[in-house]
Amino acid sequence: MMKERSLVRRTGRVLTLVTAMLALAILSVQGSAPPAPSTDGASKPRADIIRIDGLKQFGRLERPAVIYLHEKHTQALSQKKKDCATCHLPGQKYQSIQFMRLKDTTKQEVMDIYHNNCTVCHRQTAEAGEKGGPVVCTGCHQEREVASSWKEIGMDKSLHYRHGKAQENKCEVCHHRYDQVAQKLVYVKGKEDDCRYCHLAKTVDKTISMRLASHGQCLDCHRKRLAQNKDAGPATCGGCHDAELQKKIQKLKDVPRLMRGQPDATIIQAVKSDGQKVEPFSRLSVVPFNHIGHEAYNDTCRACHHSSMEACGKCHTLQGSKDGKFVNLQTAMHRVNTQASCLGCHDGNQAEKRCAGCHASIPRKDPPDLAGCASCHMPKPAAATAQTEPKAMAAMLLEARKPVVATYADEDIPETVEIKTLSKQYEPAKLPHRKIVQTLVKNIKDSKLAGSFHRDPGTVCQGCHHNSPVAKKPPACASCHSQPFDGRNLFKPGLQAAYHLHCKECHQGMGIEKPAATNCTGCHKEKL
Amino acid sequence: MSISRRTFLGWLGAAAVGTTLGRSAHAAGSPHFTGYPDALGVLFDATRCIGCRKCEEACNKVNELPAPARPFSDLAVMERKRRTDARSYTVVNRYENIVGVKGPLYRKIQCNHCLEPACASACFVRAFTKNSNSAVTYDETVCVGCRYCMIACPFEIPTYEYDKVLTPRIMKCTFCHPRLIKGLLPGCVEICPVEAMTFGKRRDLIRIANERFAQFPGRYLHHIYGEREMGGTAWMTISGVPFRDLGMREDLGITPAPELTKGALSVVPVVAGMWPVLLTGIYAISQRRDKIARDEKSAAVAAAVAQAQADAKAKLTEALAKAEKDKKTAIEKEVKKALEEAAKAKAQPSAAAPGAAPEKKSS
Repeated sequence: MMKERSLVRRTGRVLTLVTAMLALAILSVQGSAPPAPSTDGASKPRADIIRIDGLKQFGRLERPAVIYLHEKHTQALSQKKKDCATCHLPGQKYQSIQFMRLKDTTKQEVMDIYHNNCTVCHRQTAEAGEKGGPVVCTGCHQEREVASSWKEIGMDKSLHYRHGKAQENKCEVCHHRYDQVAQKLVYVKGKEDDCRYCHLAKTVDKTISMRLASHGQCLDCHRKRLAQNKDAGPATCGGCHDAELQKKIQKLKDVPRLMRGQPDATIIQAVKSDGQKVEPFSRLSVVPFNHIGHEAYNDTCRACHHSSMEACGKCHTLQGSKDGKFVNLQTAMHRVNTQASCLGCHDGNQAEKRCAGCHASIPRKDPPDLAGCASCHMPKPAAATAQTEPKAMAAMLLEARKPVVATYADEDIPETVEIKTLSKQYEPAKLPHRKIVQTLVKNIKDSKLAGSFHRDPGTVCQGCHHNSPVAKKPPACASCHSQPFDGRNLFKPGLQAAYHLHCKECHQGMGIEKPAATNCTGCHKEKL
Repeated sequence: MSISRRTFLGWLGAAAVGTTLGRSAHAAGSPHFTGYPDALGVLFDATRCIGCRKCEEACNKVNELPAPARPFSDLAVMERKRRTDARSYTVVNRYENIVGVKGPLYRKIQCNHCLEPACASACFVRAFTKNSNSAVTYDETVCVGCRYCMIACPFEIPTYEYDKVLTPRIMKCTFCHPRLIKGLLPGCVEICPVEAMTFGKRRDLIRIANERFAQFPGRYLHHIYGEREMGGTAWMTISGVPFRDLGMREDLGITPAPELTKGALSVVPVVAGMWPVLLTGIYAISQRRDKIARDEKSAAVAAAVAQAQADAKAKLTEALAKAEKDKKTAIEKEVKKALEEAAKAKAQPSAAAPGAAPEKKSS
């Protein structure tokens, strides 16, 4: 009898256990949210957040990296009349930007430097009755999120000009190159490069990283000038790196052209991998490049000259070379997802409000429309001879294609277009056709980029009258668009959606908020 | 045909290995279902939707649902997040203040018509049917109203007519199944003024979505929600912002619901079948236990009675014996007394008459 009773009880126990395990399994599948890291949500975003994780180079970190707020420390020190030297040792040339050391030696040493110096100062401050920093491990080593306003800064044309002026055009104050023979830094006039060409994201051999270089040289100069009460750049983190403060940096409108032996106009020269130049027009019509014009459109040289001040073809040879990372000339000029290529940059400009109305709804084609090639690739001018210099040839070609946004004569553009094919619930929509065309043209008239690519009077029309040959009287929308969801061409919207989508996307792209997309009667009156 | 012992053992081993391996590939042995070949679907493009609620209106009309409290032209209803209910198979919600987006975005919510529907897998009366045209339809005639489907659906789509006391039904989008059969478009798809919904074969829709990603770089997130979520759905969504910003779950994974539940659910028939046996068994055991207890009790009572009776008998016998003995003793005593008296009387006359003495001797 006892035996039977215990069997029932045991079954009960097993069932309970199984249920509990199932519940646990379900809970674990759903996943428990990790504890939210402590945030300094209320405080303002900062530009001085330094993540102290230098020990990473010696292996895995044993504790969370320290989130260090630099300006909090400099302010505390300045109150005690202490300066940078409290934490930064004087280096060979500039004060070291690392904490109490000139270079990273071993894990133990670097760790000790931090632990000994930080905690000692924190403790002394506290002993003096002031607010000291943490002295226990987790006080500093903790995961926390501090809102960041940090933004990378670079030398744009305006800033470069202001620096040049302040340094009395002594380029050598900043610019240098490494002389392999003399094994030292020298200045060569006319060979000034962008800092980032040599100073990369990380230190390589003796060439220090961009971070070290800029915080050494820039900051050192700023601090020295500040000490001499001279006009100087910022010496705080936020001064250069705070997104808001960056906007306040004085920007000159008309910066004199920076000369470094560049041409006003040139021909994009194709070079074979053996360094031999390809004779212009021997294969393809050539591309004249308005160098001086593009200097004005861009803030920096490195916008195009991303790794060197040499001509594009030097590295990006016809077939591609190791120097150009095997990106051949064709790709370098036509790649769309980069700012450094012609097409990539032009493409990016289409996001502008005045362009987006049409261009946002034009599908990207790869390769692009061949009809567009001739906008850049030009045939040999009649006046050119075999002796014509490339620069002169380029000037000649550019003269022949002055940018202009063309359009048909007003009387050739219908004033209004009545869209009545679909009229059922609503009255026909009256499209102020001519006004639309005129506005589009007016908006892009000043753009040289637009002028270069809208030279044909029918091009602007193609914003709406797409996928058909350019013509003064293009086919009606209903010629192509009819019933929706045609199984043989699912990419083509039906007529109603074609109208609505196109109107909506153009309005959206150009920031036209009225009439709202849901305001049906804003475009067509309701039938009574 | 003769089989050697070796061959037989070989087959046995292979069978054993085959069984275990087979299990690991597909949990309960049912094949992986990748959808009907020409299944239909709809691709919802969140970058196109303008939030006009025309689809809600059309849905209400074609499905003959009750009129809403506020008209469909009232866009203010989107101020709060809604979900489908017994009176609406589809709703459009507005999502505002999305990082990197200027205006509000909209999302249409309706049944996604999963390739392997969770609702159908949870239903033990098979009230849901996955049709070959993708529509997941519901049969109210067999529904028992358990609402397991409502709990099972990861998209919170099926709803219940709580206000109907006698004939409550599960209410959910039918993909306009009756219209599809007639060759008509679903009501919502047909009315959409901007073709925010593209209707077609599911495999074509995936192609279209990928084509849009390529044609409009930067406009979309390169992910088709529903291509693989919960094993794939007939209705899919593409968007320019993370799907969570449109109130969509991103934690669903790609395993179809039946795959997750069939292990546990496959046990249900067994449990259901086992219950009578188990309960009867427990009942029998307790019955038997009671019977035994009863028997034991009566036996004990009987034994006790017998014992008591025996005791009583023994006592009686003893008492009787004692009484007998007492009686005997008393008689003897009386006899002795009488004899003594007789002897005494004899002796007195012998003194007077010695003739009495020989009388005593003879006694």
